[in-house]
Amino acid sequence: MTKPSSYLTALSRSGAGTAALLYLVLFVAYASVERSALSVSAFSDLINNASPLAIAAAGGTLIVLLRSFDLSVAGVISLVNVILASYPLEDATGAGISLCLALAIGALVGLVNGVLVAYGGFQSIAVTLATMIMTGGLALVILDAPGGSVAEWLSETLTDTLGPVPISGLVLLAVVIVWAVIRKTDFGVSLYAVGQDEHAAALSGIKVQRTRCLAFVIAGALYGLSGYMLSAQTATGNPTAGNSLLLLTFAAIALGGTSFRGGTGGLTGSIIGAASLMLLQKLLFSIGVQSFYIGLLQGVVMILAVSLMNVGEWFNVRKA
Amino acid sequence: MSSVQIKSPDSAQADAVNDAPPDTATADTRKSSRLSRETLNIAGVFLLCVLAMLAARWINPNAGGYQQLETILVLCSFLVVVAFGQGLVVLIGGLDLSIPSVITLGGILTAVWVGADGGIVKTCAVLAACAGVGVLNGLGIGIFKVPAFIMTLAMGIIVYSLCLGATGGSPNGVSPKALTWLMSGRTAGIPVIVIFTVIGAVIAYLVQSRTRFGIRLYAMGSNPTAARFAGLHTLRLTLMTYALCGLLAGVTGMLLVGYSNGATLRMGEPYLLPSVAAVVIGGSAISGGRGSFLGTLAGALLLTILDMIISSLGFSQGWRTVISGAIILFAILLQHEGAMDYLRSLKGRNSTT
Repeated sequence: MTKPSSYLTALSRSGAGTAALLYLVLFVAYASVERSALSVSAFSDLINNASPLAIAAAGGTLIVLLRSFDLSVAGVISLVNVILASYPLEDATGAGISLCLALAIGALVGLVNGVLVAYGGFQSIAVTLATMIMTGGLALVILDAPGGSVAEWLSETLTDTLGPVPISGLVLLAVVIVWAVIRKTDFGVSLYAVGQDEHAAALSGIKVQRTRCLAFVIAGALYGLSGYMLSAQTATGNPTAGNSLLLLTFAAIALGGTSFRGGTGGLTGSIIGAASLMLLQKLLFSIGVQSFYIGLLQGVVMILAVSLMNVGEWFNVRKA
Repeated sequence: MSSVQIKSPDSAQADAVNDAPPDTATADTRKSSRLSRETLNIAGVFLLCVLAMLAARWINPNAGGYQQLETILVLCSFLVVVAFGQGLVVLIGGLDLSIPSVITLGGILTAVWVGADGGIVKTCAVLAACAGVGVLNGLGIGIFKVPAFIMTLAMGIIVYSLCLGATGGSPNGVSPKALTWLMSGRTAGIPVIVIFTVIGAVIAYLVQSRTRFGIRLYAMGSNPTAARFAGLHTLRLTLMTYALCGLLAGVTGMLLVGYSNGATLRMGEPYLLPSVAAVVIGGSAISGGRGSFLGTLAGALLLTILDMIISSLGFSQGWRTVISGAIILFAILLQHEGAMDYLRSLKGRNSTT
């Protein structure tokens, strides 16, 4: 692994490389079917479409890195969505306040999860299942049927482009940059150490509980941001908006090369994985696959992609 | 160590605990305290069921009678069957997310293909198809090392879209007569399905805790590497477990068809999260190797009772959901000591590797 010559090995190990390759293949296929795919508006559509899932997957990755699960993503997204649709705040200031609110809701739910999992010692899947159900219920209390409308300023600005670059793409870029910074901090290093071997991490002086708790808080804030982006895309409220993203989030994380055994992978891979999933859907639509069978092909591609990654990993291990 | 583990689930757990630094008592007393604690947890969940029933009677004097108990037992049969399968998969450290799709598959095949006249051969074919989905799950997980989460999720999507494509979105057909009798018939004043559920629960308990198969699952779940070195055929066990889980989901689909005399594409969906919740409330560790069917049974019963009580309270759907989430959280918090034990066993395991 320390050998500088095996650059390709390192790239495929990072997961992000494999996911990017998959995205490239899908994009070439899509562009050859759909001539308009190369236009700025079509590309910004793709990015807009993928951004809520990508950010949710980015958040979930932090938890998967710790060999845990976080199901609360569905509840947080729904809750943020109905709040933004029921209490729309116009203008840039309003959008700013809404953003803070979205992040705060996510972080608060994350804090509850984090305290119970890290300090209480409860199973992450159990705790987050309960918080998912509760936040989903709160979303239903606030808005009992799809409706309401998100502030116009918000939905227009976040789906717009800045020159040729879609704004949602800039948000994704911001998440990637913040992650790159966090990765270098003590917390970032601790996150991987705890994910790989909790016991060894604790012995080497890492504050395991604080790392775990902080990961849940940051993940929650990212779910809040995801709900914010989703609201901008759909411009309306739906108390079950997050449910369809729940399982896709984990699929995106797996496609992005983050291991469910913890300790290997990263946010960037998950973001590209999410974009690949959404692109695959578009590709299948434009080829003219009957909508019934799109799920079938999606499932097959998911299994194949993860199997291929495992074969690649096995190959790398043999070489090393 | 591994040879000890396959003797019985209890000794496997005690073994894991014994790996912890011997700081307090002897192994013997720890084993007994460990056992009683697990029993205590399960008893706690059963007690919660009784309290919930009493609370229902207090809120509404008409509720909580024999009639309602009977309804609860009938309704909980679906969840008990499906949670048994989920519990076995969780025991070996996996998770089956394809359950709702397989329930739908079983239900649709039963209503559309088997139809009113029934037929043993066709019924068995339906169950075989459902078990086949489980075998595919097991192959992906055991041979290609796809994470269980992803493999079963993808299989679920595949099976669901096949059901969607084959039926064109609106399946029709009716329940076989035998199934209708099973779900609504009575013998000696007791609903037939309740008798079947009780017998099934006893068999399930014996399979998980008293057969060689079940005990091997405990060994595999608590340490797959050790289990392999001890000579267990882990691939075969994985295949069998997922196949059994698929089969049980298929049975649930059939029971649902018998209950509502028809199949819908969304019929399996309400059972995914409850199947996981029942297993977790029952005290199983999601990382595998720990848990018992009695706990799962208690969890399934509690969830069904809560569902019934909360829906009779007349709140809006939102508050009902919030309350049931809070109660699930409460049931999980009750197991604090259990969680500590789990952490201790994990720590012990890490220090030995």
